This record gives sequence, structure tokens and C-alpha cells, in this order.
Amino acid sequence: MKQDFLFKASNISKYYGQNIGCKNVSLDINSGEVLGIVGESGSGKSTLLNCIYGNLELDEGDIFLNDKSKTILNFTKISEPKLRLIQRSDLAFVHQNPRDGLRMNISAGGNIGERLMAIGHRNYGEIREIASNWLEKVEIDVSRIDDKPSTFSGGMQQRLQIARNLVTKPRLIFMDEPTGGLDVSVQAKILDLLRNLVRELGIAAIIITHDLAVVRLLADRIIVMQNGNVVEAGLCDQVLDDPQHKYSQLLVSSVLQV
Amino acid sequence: MNEMSKNENIDIQIYNFAYLDENTKRMIRRALLKALCIPGYQVPFSSREMPMPYGWGTGGIQVTSACLIPKDVLKVIDQGADDTTNAVSIRKFFQKTANVAVTEKTSDASLIQTRHRIPETKLKEKQILVYQVPIPEPLRFLEPRETETRKMHALSEYGLMYVKLYEDIAKHGHIETAYAYPVKTNGNYVTDPSPIPKFDNPKMNNSPAIQLFGAGREQRIYAIPPYTNVKSLDFEDYPFEAMKANFKCSICGSSDSYLDEIIVSDDGKRSYICSDTDYCKEQTKLNSKKEDQL
Repeated sequence: MKQDFLFKASNISKYYGQNIGCKNVSLDINSGEVLGIVGESGSGKSTLLNCIYGNLELDEGDIFLNDKSKTILNFTKISEPKLRLIQRSDLAFVHQNPRDGLRMNISAGGNIGERLMAIGHRNYGEIREIASNWLEKVEIDVSRIDDKPSTFSGGMQQRLQIARNLVTKPRLIFMDEPTGGLDVSVQAKILDLLRNLVRELGIAAIIITHDLAVVRLLADRIIVMQNGNVVEAGLCDQVLDDPQHKYSQLLVSSVLQV
Repeated sequence: MNEMSKNENIDIQIYNFAYLDENTKRMIRRALLKALCIPGYQVPFSSREMPMPYGWGTGGIQVTSACLIPKDVLKVIDQGADDTTNAVSIRKFFQKTANVAVTEKTSDASLIQTRHRIPETKLKEKQILVYQVPIPEPLRFLEPRETETRKMHALSEYGLMYVKLYEDIAKHGHIETAYAYPVKTNGNYVTDPSPIPKFDNPKMNNSPAIQLFGAGREQRIYAIPPYTNVKSLDFEDYPFEAMKANFKCSICGSSDSYLDEIIVSDDGKRSYICSDTDYCKEQTKLNSKKEDQL
């Protein structure tokens, strides 16, 4: 097995009874790389993401992570405590709806600090300083540090969720339609922010979206899914400019031109 | 007179020793043994309907009932006092159903059932302290799913507990939590010490007495065995502080016991007295002895 990958999933299958969630999907990602997963609703994108993040049990396949000490961990073999530790240190998950990823009755600072405290930070001043720095990075006014996310706008909540996830410096971040449900100008702002953070911190990301503009902007490579299967994979520009599979062609041609 | 004593005899015959039947006591003792083996772990038990409502200490009463033996000397306190309704009722309950000796003196008691306080007098070996617990789960208001909190305990994921303390400092400038202050038992499970004031938290650490916790409505029992390390959670730069009102008791003059604030007049005049009535009496006695010697 090649040793230089960061994360690798091989032959992932997940069935919901008779129905296929995703079937025989393989992907790998190197550190600092952004992988887009596109496809229509119900094509198995979210199932795949939850499977490889370790939230859903697999029916078939293996998932490997090359951890900080260069040992290769197999998600299907390691213990639950170990997996949960990895999920909150090496990995991060940004939900489509910030309400799923934030604690709405806890202040912005507490939300950012939670992951720090979960990995053992016990110094209030330090936690608060890191939290303020992150608020600055995601362009939220530092004076809002003690406000609850419920008083934030949708775009701010999403930015707070990103800060909360990136604070422990994960090496791979999973995003499930991070800009879905936001209006276009806010979307642009968040995409810009994500692009900068991902490049600046060298974080690898796997982004699910049905919006081709998002992958064009962020992703290095993409995977096109239909009915739980990968129908096409390749470099982002290559697939979007010269789609080979007829579903990819349909997807590319149905983008609205303004 | 004759008739009364006859009635009392009948009462004792009607109830099994200490009210609960032997099988129930056995079930509770099993839970207690398990709880003592895994300090701070919440052991589920099949809580019984008691002849009093939930919230009156049905958990503590069941634990006491399972622990009592005929030669026990029982003390019951409520907020530190021996003479409040709750304490008097529970004491009478066990006098009637178990016919055990009762006392108000902490040092004479072999079993103490308490609500919201740990006695000021240092506890000794071979004493049992039974707490009445309303909410055994320290993570309850932070994570509503019981399946999840159980997992968090199992994997000692206690980041969220610190989020609560963080929020306290962010809001108030210090850790505002003043009672039911979370502790880590034996370096492992985070435990709710029942709503005792945080002033009492240090008394739990390394205590020679057995500490048993019973939550009747929630059907949970947990325990801290003697000489167990109990540490109150805190931040490096905001260390735990056991605090009390900064006054002296207006009856015995003690400045190191936990005080109740009492409003004594219509215009809001305040007075502070020991919440531990037994300790207050002892101190008053000591003071008058000293005066006699002078």
C-alpha cells in the first residue's frame, strides 16, 4: 500500500435493507487536497460522507487514516473511544444546518472552546484567547464572543461552526453542503473564507455539494455520484469542462447561466 | 398507656424491619456493592414506591433501609438541621419501622442520612453517609440524551462539563456554580455530589466514612468508598474555591462552619447561623465551658 496518502476509503458499500446507500465506492485524499463529491439528491453523497467519517457502520469496505505519528489506522478495526478521539482531534465535520453542529444555548466562545476542552485544555484564559483569534479569523466581531449563536444570522452561525471545527487544527474536514440554505452573497463570503483557511492551514477537505460552482471554486478533484455509484472521477476542471459520463454531462449542462 | 404500647408492637409486626421487604433490600445491596466497586458509576436499580412522594428523599430512604441493622444509631439531617420537617419525618419513619436508636450527635451516629449537607464534625471510619439525590446525572442539562451521557461517562469525554464552567466564568467572571458542583471520583467518573454547597466538596475527598448516594425517582445508586480521591473540577487559572458567607454564627460564634442567612425583621435585618444544628450546639457548649473555666 502506498504510504503517502492522508485518508483512503476502499470499496465502501452501505445498504438500507434492499436499497443501496452507496456501492463499492473508493476514494483517497492527500494532505492539503480538496475533494468534491457532487450528485443529485438521493445519490448517496451524505451516506458516503457519514460512512467514511465513521458515523455509520459499513456493510463492506475499509477506511484508513494516516495519523499524525504516521501509523495507518483502520476505522473498522479500532475501538470506539479511539475513533471518537480521532473524530474530535484529527477530523472535523461541518453540517449543512449550523443548528446540528452548534450548541445553540452556549455562547460563541464556549462553542469554539468545547473541542479544546474535550482534548484536555484546562486554562480559561488560553481557551478564551484562542476562541477570540478564531472569531477574528472567521470575521465575526470579537465583542460577540459571549453571545449565543441563536442571536447570530445564518451566515454567522455557519462561520462559527467552521471556527468551532477548525480550532483543534484537524487534518481532514468533512463538509456536507456547507453553503446550502444560505443566500448567494453570504455563500460567496463563506466560500472565500473556506478557500483561504483550507489553503492557509493546509487542511484536506471532502466537500459534498450539488452546486458545481462551489466545487469549481474549492475542489482539486471531484467525484460524480449517481444512485450510490461513482460514475466519474477526476481533476475538477477536467471533469467539469469535458464530462465523459452522460450523467456528468447532464449535470454540467443543467447549470443556469446568468 | 397500655393500649398505646400494644399499638406500637403491632406497628413493628406489620412492617418488615426498616419497611422494605428482604428481597428488595437484597437488590439494593447488590447495587450498592457494585457502586462501591466502581466509584462514581451510576448503577441502575429498581426503585420502589415509598409511602412518601418523590423529592422527599425516597432514594436515600431506600439506601438507608437496605443498610440498617438493629444495632445502628441513626441520624437524619435536612440542610444540616436535625429538627426540620423532612429530617423529623424520616427519623420517625425508621424509629417506627426499624425501631433503631436515633441521635442528633454526628459522632454517635453509625448511619447518617442527609439532604444537602455534609456534617461539620469530621466523619469517622465505620460511619455511613447516605445522600438523597434529586438528579444523579451531572451532564443532564448539558446533554439531554441519556444514551449519549452514558457513552460520555464510559469514554470519559468530559469536555462538555468544562463548557459549563467556562460559561460560568464568561458570564459572571468566576465559577458561579455554588451547589451540586461536579467532582471527579477516583480520577475517573465525573459525579454529581447531590445539591450540597460547594463548601462541603473538600469533605468528600479522602473521607474515612462510606458515602452512598440514592436517587429514587431516577432509579440510580452511586457511591464513594472510604479514602477515595474526590476532586472538584476547575480551570488552571480559576481554581476551585470552597466558599461560604463571610460572617460568624450569631449563636455559637463559629466562623468556619457553613452559614444560613436568615431575615429577622421586616426591614431586612439579617442574621447568620450555622446550618449544622448539632455542630452549633456543640460549639455553644464548648464556649460556655470555656466561660465557666474563666
